[in-house]
Amino acid sequence: MEVLTENIQLFLPLIIIQVVLFIVAIIDIIRIKETNGPKWIWVIVAFLSILGPIIYFIFGRRRD
Amino acid sequence: MQWMTLLKKELLENWRNKKWIWVPLVIILLSIMDPLTTYFMPQILDSVGGMPEGTVIEMPEFAPAEVVLITLGQLSSLGVLIVVLITMGTITGERKSGVSELVLVKPVSFWNYISAKWVSFLLLVWASLFFGILVHWYYINILFGNLSFTEFLTIFFFFGVWLTFVVSLTIFYSSVVKSTGLVAFFTILTIMAMSLVTEIFQYVLDWSPNNLSDYIFESLVNGEVVSDLWITAGITFGISLLLLVSSVQIFKRKEMVIS
Repeated sequence: MEVLTENIQLFLPLIIIQVVLFIVAIIDIIRIKETNGPKWIWVIVAFLSILGPIIYFIFGRRRD
Repeated sequence: MQWMTLLKKELLENWRNKKWIWVPLVIILLSIMDPLTTYFMPQILDSVGGMPEGTVIEMPEFAPAEVVLITLGQLSSLGVLIVVLITMGTITGERKSGVSELVLVKPVSFWNYISAKWVSFLLLVWASLFFGILVHWYYINILFGNLSFTEFLTIFFFFGVWLTFVVSLTIFYSSVVKSTGLVAFFTILTIMAMSLVTEIFQYVLDWSPNNLSDYIFESLVNGEVVSDLWITAGITFGISLLLLVSSVQIFKRKEMVIS
């Protein structure tokens, strides 16, 4: 963890991107009419892992 | 201008489904992951632990061009996967939902319909790649040493040609195959088969599109764009155009049969 705090400027963009992806995904899940499957599952997916928001954007939105 | 209207429709759609937000962010993420992990590898190994006391790990010093090559490898696998996944549903999805019928019932030419899709995805992919490589270039300059702005443009432009090919191939399969899943499957299969063939016949296939990353690396090492890179890029772009034209032809024939 020392490395992380010492070089925070270098890692900050990573963290910001993660947070933005997460927020956009959550807002989208809330505002979208219908997701591919129950909405609450996608909220959990977005929370669970770093890849969650991306997985939601690719597979969670209904293609129509 | 019918074509502009169609392009606007595609761009609006990609904005509404948030692709214009998350695709650039993910490409940036992929482009800075490798410089960081490469640079901090000793510390990462240290914190993971499991090494016997007193182990000294000698890490080789990486030249900027080598880190660029590692990142291009990452973008060629995960980046290409993302590009295929965002493009795959563009025609099959509209066929399924009936949007393509709504559009094509009007006097819209098949060429306009498909080429507008092609351009809209290229804009998205090229813009994402621009930001990705820009941030990557910044990190390389901080962590590994000097990489000039011309070199940045070289990486961006020629890797963009490779992604143009990937978009074209996906749209081609999207007009041939009916199911979205199969589009992704065939596209990935084709790219893997191509890299295998390039690997086996490497002495004959000097200008295979799969060699673009290697030639970019070579150009960075040499300090100038090698002629092989220009030729390979030209061939790759040519194949992309050919794929676009043939996908319009195939799409035309298929729609005729249906209607």
